[in-house]
Amino acid sequence: MIETAFRLEKARPKPALVRWLTHRDTLLSSGFILGVLLLWQVVYSLELMPKWAFPSPGRTFQSLVELLLDGSLAKNVGASFSRQITGVVLAAIAGVPLGIYLGMSANFKGATLPFFRMMYPIPGLAWVPLAILWFGVGFTSTVFVIFISGIWPIMFNTMAGVQTLSGQYTDVARVYMAPSGLYIRRILVPGSLPFIITGLRLTYGVGWRVIIGAEMISSIVGIGFMIDDARWQLRPDIMIAGMITIAIIGLVTENWLFDFIERRTLDKWGMKASPM
Amino acid sequence: MVVIDHVEKRYDTDGGDVLALQDIRTTIGEAEFVCLLGPSGCGKSTLLRIVAGLIPATAGRVLIDSKAVEGCGPDRAFVFQDYALFPWMTVEDNVSFGLAARGVPADEQRRKASELLKVVGLGDFAGKYPHHLSGGMKQRVSIARALVVEPRILLMDEPFGALDAQTRSVMQEELLRIWLYYKKTVIFVTHSISEALLLADRVIVMTARPGRVKSEIRIDLPRPRDESEPRMIDLRRRMLGELSVEIARSMQQETEAASHA
Repeated sequence: MIETAFRLEKARPKPALVRWLTHRDTLLSSGFILGVLLLWQVVYSLELMPKWAFPSPGRTFQSLVELLLDGSLAKNVGASFSRQITGVVLAAIAGVPLGIYLGMSANFKGATLPFFRMMYPIPGLAWVPLAILWFGVGFTSTVFVIFISGIWPIMFNTMAGVQTLSGQYTDVARVYMAPSGLYIRRILVPGSLPFIITGLRLTYGVGWRVIIGAEMISSIVGIGFMIDDARWQLRPDIMIAGMITIAIIGLVTENWLFDFIERRTLDKWGMKASPM
Repeated sequence: MVVIDHVEKRYDTDGGDVLALQDIRTTIGEAEFVCLLGPSGCGKSTLLRIVAGLIPATAGRVLIDSKAVEGCGPDRAFVFQDYALFPWMTVEDNVSFGLAARGVPADEQRRKASELLKVVGLGDFAGKYPHHLSGGMKQRVSIARALVVEPRILLMDEPFGALDAQTRSVMQEELLRIWLYYKKTVIFVTHSISEALLLADRVIVMTARPGRVKSEIRIDLPRPRDESEPRMIDLRRRMLGELSVEIARSMQQETEAASHA
């Protein structure tokens, strides 16, 4: 009994959630968001915008809850999310090896990089009509648009990672006569990982940005479709609910997913993430 | 036996042709411990990299047992000044890297790596990552990585240059212990007279750029050596005399280069 009481009295570290909630930055940023909501409400109440086009925050959150309850939000988020993941994974599968090869071979780089650099600024949405012609409306064309606009950041960053890798690591590989497969697998890829992760983050962000536009044009399901479809029903609340959903999903998945990868790799190895 | 035969190294730079090494000739015997001593920029590290096969000589050649060096080989291992450990590999994986490169089976890699880690006193650190280790420990890992592939020649490029004085002297003792045990040929680059005096069978003093062999000083004293012993003091004075002229020249070269820049 005494022992139990003693153990209970020992000071425990605060749980992570409590620490996060009471952190100064968390308080500041949530305060700011509250301010924005307040401003939104003021604009609505003073009727600075026509009411049929400008919903109140309350109405919007009510719609968000309704969409959540009737399952349509889950269906649309699921569709968008699976396209996003497929597109980003394909971009990585193609972009990482291409980036490694760009970093390793001066000839390949000289031949292809100018072309790749020309492709890079083409907005993802410019591909949508062509994607519809090629792949029809739906999953494949959306994935293609994510892939074609997302491959560049991961490719260029991987290339930069290979090129900035310390020459000493290459010297070690040469001293011990590592075959090129082992060299790529155990030195180039992990050594470039700070850059590869940054590239993936950018690719992931690009994906979310183009997916909505692509779905507005070439889809009958997904968040983008949901937002666009709300136009025909004159439901600006649904549009904004869709945007809030994107913001939350983007923030949460990006932070959790990539911070998780970084904790498992760079943090463990004492390496620094590359600057964005 | 390592024969360095009229080795020359030139670099093409923006400022024109730079002669880094000129007509280097020397022979290093089996299990001999040789220190290359010289002022900074004298090309001693360049010479070591040529012997390693990391860079080619522009003239002359290096022979190992009468065979000309053309690139790296399994008979040589290299220890770098700043360790060059892979941060993404555990200590054990770093040590066994050379074995992995040779296609040695995984269980044998593990067995040999843990054996070598014990030799360098890091038996309990196999699963740690390099960033958890101090400088001295990192260099032990690097030495274990070099020894595990059983090279005949150990090339060491100022391996203790980044360590504090205490760690450095401990590492020097350890290196001698390992060298006496394994009887490798060691070529050891340093700019420290004390280090050369404590370690070497023979010290090759190099000139300021272009690097040439200025003199070779044999040290026939038993180890461990005592720096306060009269013969050591004599040798130190001699080396200091030879080296100080070259250091002065090297510093003059540097100030000239800086004023041109």
